[in-house]
Amino acid sequence: MERYWNEEIECMPREEMKKLQDERLVAQVKHVYENVPYYRSLMDEKGVKPEDIKSTDDLHKLPFLTKADLRDAYPYGLLAKPLSDCVRIQSTSGTTGKRVVAFYTQHDIDLWEDCCARAITAAGGTNEDVCQVCYGYGLFTGGPGLNGGSHKVGCLTLPMSSGNTERQITFMRDLGATILCCTPSYAAYIGETLHDMGYTTDDIKLKAGIFGAEPWTEEMRRSIEKSLGIKAYDIYGLTETSGPGVSFECSEQTGMHINEDHFIPEIINPETGEVLPDGEVGELVFTSITKEAFPLLRYRTRDLCVLSRKKCSCGRTLIKMTKPMGRSDDMMIIRGVNVFPSQIETVLIEQGYSPNYLIEVDRVNNTDTLDISVEMNPDQLSDKVKDMQDQEKSLAIAIKTMLGINPKVHLVAPKSITRSEGKAVRVIDKRKLHD
Amino acid sequence: MANVRQISVFVDNKPNQLAGVMKLLKESGINIRALSLADTKDFGILRIIVNDTDKAVETLKNALYAVTVTEILAISIPDSAGQLSRVLDILGSENVNLEYLYAFTGASDKAVSFVIRVDDNANASAALTKGGIIQLTENDIAEM
Ligand SMILES: [Zn+2]
Repeated sequence: MERYWNEEIECMPREEMKKLQDERLVAQVKHVYENVPYYRSLMDEKGVKPEDIKSTDDLHKLPFLTKADLRDAYPYGLLAKPLSDCVRIQSTSGTTGKRVVAFYTQHDIDLWEDCCARAITAAGGTNEDVCQVCYGYGLFTGGPGLNGGSHKVGCLTLPMSSGNTERQITFMRDLGATILCCTPSYAAYIGETLHDMGYTTDDIKLKAGIFGAEPWTEEMRRSIEKSLGIKAYDIYGLTETSGPGVSFECSEQTGMHINEDHFIPEIINPETGEVLPDGEVGELVFTSITKEAFPLLRYRTRDLCVLSRKKCSCGRTLIKMTKPMGRSDDMMIIRGVNVFPSQIETVLIEQGYSPNYLIEVDRVNNTDTLDISVEMNPDQLSDKVKDMQDQEKSLAIAIKTMLGINPKVHLVAPKSITRSEGKAVRVIDKRKLHD
Repeated sequence: MANVRQISVFVDNKPNQLAGVMKLLKESGINIRALSLADTKDFGILRIIVNDTDKAVETLKNALYAVTVTEILAISIPDSAGQLSRVLDILGSENVNLEYLYAFTGASDKAVSFVIRVDDNANASAALTKGGIIQLTENDIAEM
């Protein structure tokens, strides 16, 4: 029996949802035009007035916002409320250039936490559950978002933050955690540590996990589900739109329902900006229609995915997005070929290797090189060197089949690649040092 | 049949990896009787025969090393010219494929011991016995 946090919205007939979005969009455009000079000048440049936006059908007339705009407008340029009305900031990890800072009123926080509560409920969470949140707390939205959602649902919340994995497992066991929230790479690491400590899934009570904030593959999902004995649900969001909970997965596990009463999605051609029909791969764009303090209109996420309005078995009518197939930030161009780390990960898991790997891209004599360090599978250890070299070769062939370019595969000892407690660092692109 | 268990350990080709394994075994009171390292530029496979195989395997696995156990043959031959080639001839005449071999020091300085890794232990062992080559048991090696 599927459970909903807000059945009225989550299962709302499409015409009613469109009407709700139309009303909210019109009001939001007016709010932004009046209070955000930065966006007003973008609209003026394009010759669009708030009166031109009469419904969601007019959405395509509005100018886009990009990450570059957020940097230009740092810190207050996109703020739509007086600071006296704001109660919180969150920020991106921003390793390059300026950080992105997002502002929240109390109302914004409530709506954001409500979105997270929908995600937790869709994963089977109720006030009987114990929810262990090991996303980072602080400026990163992961911890605060799921923490707030967990409170709303009424779960007993363990605000663990990330790190100290053995302690995580001790709390998980002693307090009988039933739901785990963290990045998928950390979930995989917790699973590994659990088994290294000599425990099995019988020693824990976990039933579900809500994992997001970084790309992960279907193979990784199955491997986490097995190692922790749970059902693993995907969650999506970004600081610019609020945080996790923009979309969330239901029991069908075939994509994430977007909270359309707050965010209108579009898919565009990243080259031309043209809006693409449902079913086509393109860049995901979000318009926030309820946020007060930091309401981004037509924000380009740089995530590539597909939207689907196919009826979902869970009963929700909210549109679904696929797991992002890659992020333009993650995409590497190696010898002219687009390569996503997730493709390499898929091959590794299919071939029985751990999803802990390190990709190093470099340029030698004007040719790109791709080196992949992979932890050898202890069950496949042979006393013969040739057998191990054959394993390297057959893995290289499988990766070449997937990518179309030849990598060099290096087997390294089990557990020798640094585990991540937050977002995993999987790619080192040394070419950037030369440019 | 006198098969001897050899432990293989996967080690990264980085400084101190080998020393780490040695230190761990030494601290656990395990004595290494025979050793060979086969390495590539990425990794090495350390092959050892020890006085307490079960304990060594457990110790290494607990320290999260990748470990595998293979049955090999160990022989002791006089330390004089032509002895090893006689052994190879015996194996060749039985069509036994030799994967690798390495020498180790035995109890006597008049004899030299070899680990022999072949694709067919039973066949090789019978042929060696017939040829009068002394085979060592795991116990013989442990007591060296
Ligand atoms: Zn659904």
